Amino acid sequence: MSGTKELKRRIKSIKNTKKITKAMELVAASKMRRAVATTVASRNYAVAAWQVLNAIKDLDSVDHPFLNTSDPKNVLTIVITSNRGLCGAYNTQVIKKVIGYSKQESSEVAQKYIVVGKKGSAASQRMKLDVVASFTDLPETISLRDIKPIAQFIIDEFKSGSYDHVQVAYTDFVSALAQKPRLKQLLPLEVSELRSSIESLDPHDHSIETDTREYIFEPQASELLPELVEKLITMELYQFFLESSASEQSARMMAMRNANESATEMIADLTLVFNKARQANITKEISEISAGMASVE
Amino acid sequence: MKSFSLHIATPERLVLSQEVVSVSIPTKDGQITVLPGHIPLITNVVNGEIVAKTAHDVLPMGVLGGFAKITQDGVTILADFAEHVHEMSEDVVQKAQAKAAELAAMKETLSKEDFEHFEAELERSLMRVKVASKWKNMDAAVAKYNQSKQ
Repeated sequence: MSGTKELKRRIKSIKNTKKITKAMELVAASKMRRAVATTVASRNYAVAAWQVLNAIKDLDSVDHPFLNTSDPKNVLTIVITSNRGLCGAYNTQVIKKVIGYSKQESSEVAQKYIVVGKKGSAASQRMKLDVVASFTDLPETISLRDIKPIAQFIIDEFKSGSYDHVQVAYTDFVSALAQKPRLKQLLPLEVSELRSSIESLDPHDHSIETDTREYIFEPQASELLPELVEKLITMELYQFFLESSASEQSARMMAMRNANESATEMIADLTLVFNKARQANITKEISEISAGMASVE
Repeated sequence: MKSFSLHIATPERLVLSQEVVSVSIPTKDGQITVLPGHIPLITNVVNGEIVAKTAHDVLPMGVLGGFAKITQDGVTILADFAEHVHEMSEDVVQKAQAKAAELAAMKETLSKEDFEHFEAELERSLMRVKVASKWKNMDAAVAKYNQSKQ
């Protein structure tokens, strides 16, 4: 019976693992749903904020550092990764995207990084990236309050002129089955790009059409603009975080579902082997007994 | 009665989306009250209370900073944070009060970054306490509000 005992133990341990992966899958699925719901809820605000920005018609004539495009010399990249593993290729994909970018960028451009998440922070040390800040203690369900310090830091640094371009490497939540790593420019604000990204949030909304009404501004538009632009940037960053968080959870859900399936398969295979071994033992015992009987007779 | 649509959105949720007959908004230069058919106006919103009136009801809300876009057919308020008064239960208000006191005491010892973080928290707590205590006695507060608008 020595072989079957070993097999029994293995089946039991795989069954335990399966229980854990199943639980993790369910948890990830519910967290994903929550993250998606938050993303949807924040869209109203994004669309409305865009409308206000749109109402400031002579946007192009406004001289504001956030709107001045120039060739990048000092680039700050924000890399959004997760704190925990067991989520398939989620972190690897984002990090690969960043590596791809840092290699292709010309050497005259100074690259600095802000890394979010323990996984990214470990990877950035391996890659010897120039990290200016690293945020590893963000909660799993991100609220705007958690993003504000990061956004403020970026805005302050950009204003002081330390950087002339800010971009974000995050994971776009396409669906529960597909997530795409992306690199998007956050600053300076590309009005046309912002427009398309907000329109993609809400393709059926016609209210984004150009507003022809003449608005009164209180205070002056030039005074309102900086605050509005800062809010929009914070908002955009918040959405990147939400997308990433939804992607992380769905990647984890898929990884755990796969683990669950292979555990089921392994249990089936091992059970077959176990049954065969058990049957072989029984057959052996019976033949031993009948051989013993035969010798007695 | 003429009415217009009022939307109050924060980054986290849509707080209110409803037909109203008037709304008072706190702005930098003082409070403005919007009635149907207002000329297009964009203004900033400061911490305080938004009071919306429907045909039968008065809806007071606490708000922290943001923008308001006013047109003939509706008002959209983009707030950093907003909350109905009825969401501010006794419990929440008491917690806010305690938190405000605690934060005020910590003020001295905090670093600059932490302070910025806590300042927002403090503002929120103070706003809750202020707005909730004002509207605690709903009927009296509504009467007072109506009187001030006549």
